[in-house]
Amino acid sequence: MHRRQFLARGVAFGGASLLGARVLGAQQGEQQASAQPAPVAGQQGGSSNLFDMDQGASKTVVRPPKPGATPSMSTEKRNELETQIRCQCGCTLDVYICRTTDFSCAVSPAMHRDVMTLVDGGYSAQEILDAFVSTYGERALMSPKREGFNWAGYLVPSAALAAGSVALFAVLRGMQRRAVPAPVVGGPSGPELGSDDEMARLDAAIRRDD
Amino acid sequence: MILIGELSLWVALLMAAWAAVTSFAGGALGREDLITSGRRGVYATAAMIVLASLGLWTALLTHDFSLKYVASNTSANMPKIYVFAAFWGGQAGSMLFWALILVLYSAIASWSVREKARDLAPWAAGTLAMISLFFIATVCFKANPYDRLSFVPADGRGMNPQLQNPGMAIHPPMLYLGYVATSVPFAFAIAALIARKLDAEWLSIVRRWSLLSWFFLTIGITLGMWWAYVELGWSGYWAWDPVENASLLPWLTGTAFLHSIMIQEKRGMLRKWNVVLVVTTFLLAIFGTFITRSGIIESVHSFAQSPVGTWFATFFFASTAATMYFVATRLKDLEAKAELESMVSREAAFLYNNLVLVGIAFSVLWGTLFPILSEWVRGSKITVGPPFFNTVNVPLGLLLLALTGVGPLIAWRKASTSNLKRQFAFPVAMGLAVGVMLAVLGMRDGHALVAYTLAGFVAGTIGQEFFKGIAARRSIHGEAIPIATIRLVARNRRRYGGYIVHAGIVVLFSAFAGLAFKKDHDVQMRGGETKEIVDPLGHRWRFVSQGVSTSETLNRLVTAVGLEVWRDGVSQGILTSEKRQYFDSNHQPQFEPSTEVGIRTSAKMDLYIVLAGVRDETAELRISFNPLVVWVWIGGMIMAIGGLIVMWPQAEKRRAPSGYVATLEPAKRELVAAP
Repeated sequence: MHRRQFLARGVAFGGASLLGARVLGAQQGEQQASAQPAPVAGQQGGSSNLFDMDQGASKTVVRPPKPGATPSMSTEKRNELETQIRCQCGCTLDVYICRTTDFSCAVSPAMHRDVMTLVDGGYSAQEILDAFVSTYGERALMSPKREGFNWAGYLVPSAALAAGSVALFAVLRGMQRRAVPAPVVGGPSGPELGSDDEMARLDAAIRRDD
Repeated sequence: MILIGELSLWVALLMAAWAAVTSFAGGALGREDLITSGRRGVYATAAMIVLASLGLWTALLTHDFSLKYVASNTSANMPKIYVFAAFWGGQAGSMLFWALILVLYSAIASWSVREKARDLAPWAAGTLAMISLFFIATVCFKANPYDRLSFVPADGRGMNPQLQNPGMAIHPPMLYLGYVATSVPFAFAIAALIARKLDAEWLSIVRRWSLLSWFFLTIGITLGMWWAYVELGWSGYWAWDPVENASLLPWLTGTAFLHSIMIQEKRGMLRKWNVVLVVTTFLLAIFGTFITRSGIIESVHSFAQSPVGTWFATFFFASTAATMYFVATRLKDLEAKAELESMVSREAAFLYNNLVLVGIAFSVLWGTLFPILSEWVRGSKITVGPPFFNTVNVPLGLLLLALTGVGPLIAWRKASTSNLKRQFAFPVAMGLAVGVMLAVLGMRDGHALVAYTLAGFVAGTIGQEFFKGIAARRSIHGEAIPIATIRLVARNRRRYGGYIVHAGIVVLFSAFAGLAFKKDHDVQMRGGETKEIVDPLGHRWRFVSQGVSTSETLNRLVTAVGLEVWRDGVSQGILTSEKRQYFDSNHQPQFEPSTEVGIRTSAKMDLYIVLAGVRDETAELRISFNPLVVWVWIGGMIMAIGGLIVMWPQAEKRRAPSGYVATLEPAKRELVAAP
């Protein structure tokens, strides 16, 4: 590629990058604006590299108990369900791990109480997840639902790997066609494994490969 | 010293600019005086940044709270070791620390190639000086650890207690040493592209520095996992947090490069691909830093309200554009000197390995960025957590494990069917034996069964390679097994060091698979109360609470619960789990309470006890049984040792015609000489 061709393509790419950077910048600004309250004067917070907890992040997830409701799942299943719900304090952990790890977090115990109430109200795991999503949005889940645009999240890596495999196969075939045939290594007429000859060859090969 | 340090920072900025300009000008005009001046500029920048760093360390250790950074990250009652480590504990200090490592690497790299790579040296020095200029400018203008407060507080804010851990004192420097080392191969890649010289000399320099980067990243990532496990109390070591992912990305592409570079060394192939991998590794290190520093992605580690994100984004895009320009305009110089002859060859196996490594890197990057993409497209925030990453990456990880065993078994250029049968027979048999044995013993987890079967296969490959090599030495030199083993490794460090790294991978994957059998139990215990639990291996554990106690020490108030532990009726002693509330010199609480986990480690399983809280003298505990966790650290250490063997500098000298050739009998010499 010549310099001019590159520059022409670069201008197009640069425009797209600039647009992306502006969006990133806007998003960053938005996040900073919605971040924690400013640290106390003189304490100069915000420079440590661990997150600050948002203790006021919990909302109430309420549903009326189903008629004649009994608990819809065992404690073990409920704990498993809580591993699919994200604590909203900012820790990035799920509710179960957060509430059993850190007694300073007020958010995960509150979310746990809501889960228990819904379980006692006879709601199924999916209904409980849906209730949390309707209150907090989809970020209440530890992984995106498999629907709509989210499929791109799940499928693009596999599709990229498949495309990469096809491309690699095509490149290798092309190279193979252009290559001068080489004798096979260790073919049927080659020495047997473990013979003195092979040992010497192996020794030589070890040195040569190094 | 503090004032000298502050001034040195600004002098370093000028020196870096001078070094960049003179090095590039010297390279373009072919003027030796400018090239020498540029190189000296690199040395001077290093000296100035060393002074700036000493100044900050002086300020930290003398508790000069007039500096905002010192007041924000330390307090008068903190242990000295963590005051020292506070240098890299906050945003501004860690940026200066990054710059310190970068300028020292730059000086070493420029000095080491001043005579032997004269065509590349000025361009590489100029590129390194440009990167240094960016980092020093960021420190000076956006994250200056010498910024002063308008008043001098009596004490500082202190360090987050979770960072007051030996692992955290070592883990960041190791990661930085790894991240920053990617700059040198990048600089030499740019130099080689500008000078149009991608020859053996370039390969040798780039390989050495890439190995160094890989070595430190391996140690840094392992230490990070250990720190998360012992300090954070969530009973795991990898949460697919964006910052963890950021450290994994350059490691993955760096590993891919260390494999594909062998193909270029031996066959002159993959020149374009290798350049792409070198620059991608550096750009991913920068991108990872952007993620960490900008706060753009929610992370447990992220620096809040950071002003450096925009600078990093700009630097990232500028570096990417410059690299793309040089690669696009020099494609003809990167043509391969040989072609692949067979899909069933060592070269092809390395390419499959590269595909999987880069595929994993892409899926990790994709998952990390998907929340942003989703927000752009749909306007709503989502979380991409461990369930997503495990779904996508576990199959890829297993494929990578399989390829770890396949590569060494296939011959270079072209392998025959009989060769493949001979080579694969034992490793495949070993893998199947392991899989069948575990299935018969009752293992039913599909992923774990596949992982252990593949681990058996790869272990069989490594064992076979060592066996054949040792047998060869014994047959030819008549050496005893220990001597033959040591000499085999010592005289073929790249090959057998690589196998040792593979052994570390096997251990690591086996340990990862162990987590499929992890068990957690929530219990509440009053003093004197007893609980009995059966672990995943069927052992019966009894826990007797010794009650809750509180005590005060140095800079913290400790709430602890002791459990007397019995396994199958045999006493295992007392295990204590704590919550710590740190306070400042005025006894005012600082930060949230932190966890000190009670861990009893054994080869089979860790007993992991977390004190989640105390209500009415009743301790709320999570008791976890975590199988094989200790093997994660051992696997990481084995990998690092393997990496050290591979990059040991004497290896190249000793590979000169000694050892084998000198002791071969005449008849065997002919064999060696035969094509």
